[in-house]
Amino acid sequence: MVVLSDIFNGSVDKNPNEELCVVYVLYFDEKKGQIPLLMYPDDRFRNNKRYMRPVNYHPVWFLESAELDHIDLEYKGYAFFGKKFATKSDRPKRRAGLEVETPETIVLIVSLPIELEIFGDGLIRKLTEELRSKFEDQFSKVIESEIANENVIKTPKVQERITIGKKIKVFMRELIDNTIKNYFANAIQKKTESPSFKTQKAISYFALRGFDSLVLNNLRGEDAFSNIQIFDPTKQAIEAISTTLPISINNINFISNSQEIEITVQNNTDKELKNIYITTTHVKEFFEKELMSLEVEFWFPQEELLFVSPIVPHIDEYLFTVNQRVDDGDYLKILTQRIDLKLINKI
Amino acid sequence: MSDDVLKEEDIIIRNYRTSDYQATLEILQKLNKLYDIGFDEKQWRESSGLRQFKPNLKRITLIAELKSNGEVVSMGVIEAQKNTIGQYVGLLGNWATKDEFIGKGVGRLLADRAIQILQSWGCDSIRIDLPYKTDKKLLDVFAKTGFHPILIVLEKRF
Repeated sequence: MVVLSDIFNGSVDKNPNEELCVVYVLYFDEKKGQIPLLMYPDDRFRNNKRYMRPVNYHPVWFLESAELDHIDLEYKGYAFFGKKFATKSDRPKRRAGLEVETPETIVLIVSLPIELEIFGDGLIRKLTEELRSKFEDQFSKVIESEIANENVIKTPKVQERITIGKKIKVFMRELIDNTIKNYFANAIQKKTESPSFKTQKAISYFALRGFDSLVLNNLRGEDAFSNIQIFDPTKQAIEAISTTLPISINNINFISNSQEIEITVQNNTDKELKNIYITTTHVKEFFEKELMSLEVEFWFPQEELLFVSPIVPHIDEYLFTVNQRVDDGDYLKILTQRIDLKLINKI
Repeated sequence: MSDDVLKEEDIIIRNYRTSDYQATLEILQKLNKLYDIGFDEKQWRESSGLRQFKPNLKRITLIAELKSNGEVVSMGVIEAQKNTIGQYVGLLGNWATKDEFIGKGVGRLLADRAIQILQSWGCDSIRIDLPYKTDKKLLDVFAKTGFHPILIVLEKRF
């Protein structure tokens, strides 16, 4: 496993929390493009082009904010979950045609080791909710502070603007820190039955990295990143991640004469699922290209459905995703499966 | 089994499940023997009858099962597809009933349900695939429900 800081020449101090997750809050500057507002846990690499490469070229920048709940990018053993949203603004813009009220475009990216990607959907949703509910009106102040910081001459007024932004960033960082700690500490619900493969993988990763031993640090009164207690049966889960997936793939076949993939998927729950959206995509460089997009209006309990997707000649890897539209219009990802034509049954 | 016509309450009409594979295989084999519909056992897999989603195509295999003992007595495939002139056409195909239940109204119950479903999908029209050697009597039965012959399909096999 390559930790993000490992990509430099070994001289960089490693932040232990970097092995768990990194959060990037960025905005789209009308003059300069993508600008980081803050990075958690470590802000030092914001100007390092190599480190910021997957962030700056993330496909989330090319999406309209209302199009998708979030979009993911996998890069060198890490999954980068990206979410774009707009917030209020009262900042004079630096480009013709943009009004003072033109909303700010904020991009939130959460990177997790690929072993922990199961937590990405929930975590980015939680962070977005928290940041938007507490800082919706203050993002433009932080952006103003960022712009003011570029000024060569810092008048008292400019300095005041910078200070306001810095203070808000401190609170934002604290909020991100608390949200992540709470999320991970409560994410894994201990169940007696066998957990899903992805959850097992995540638990193994935590155990390997020694996050459960941080409980001992807490007892000693030391400040720990998280109070994860994977093997503590008394731990109550607030946001439970069910160990039985609501939807599972029962079979995948490649039909060679019609050049299609057949995917048999089952609703494992005892309730009817509604507003389900199915997509098949393939990744070309940094971009996901959609091959199939279908709506399933209703899906009976325990029912198996057959999805038949076209493929692209000479491309072997595809991503099959099942999303559910929730009440607020956002999409909740309930299943993602990578399909490699070389590894599946040919008919 | 008496010779009486089966009532709606005697029959359950539902979507195909993988557990119906053997029963549907037998029905289709018999249909093929009678009318040479080009059925190939290798192509009819356990998953073939599941509710299917494909770009521009929806397909369901409907199953009629006896409420009393769960026996599969009839089956039919419905699908809806945009044709080459942009019409959204519903199609009833591979409609077959076990010999001992022919004439008991099972096919009619199944067809009524199929038409309801295809209407709910917004089809402009519904077509039924029938074997070329179909009895004139059967055509008359369909004519009473509003289905009239419009096409003859020719096929060349490779």
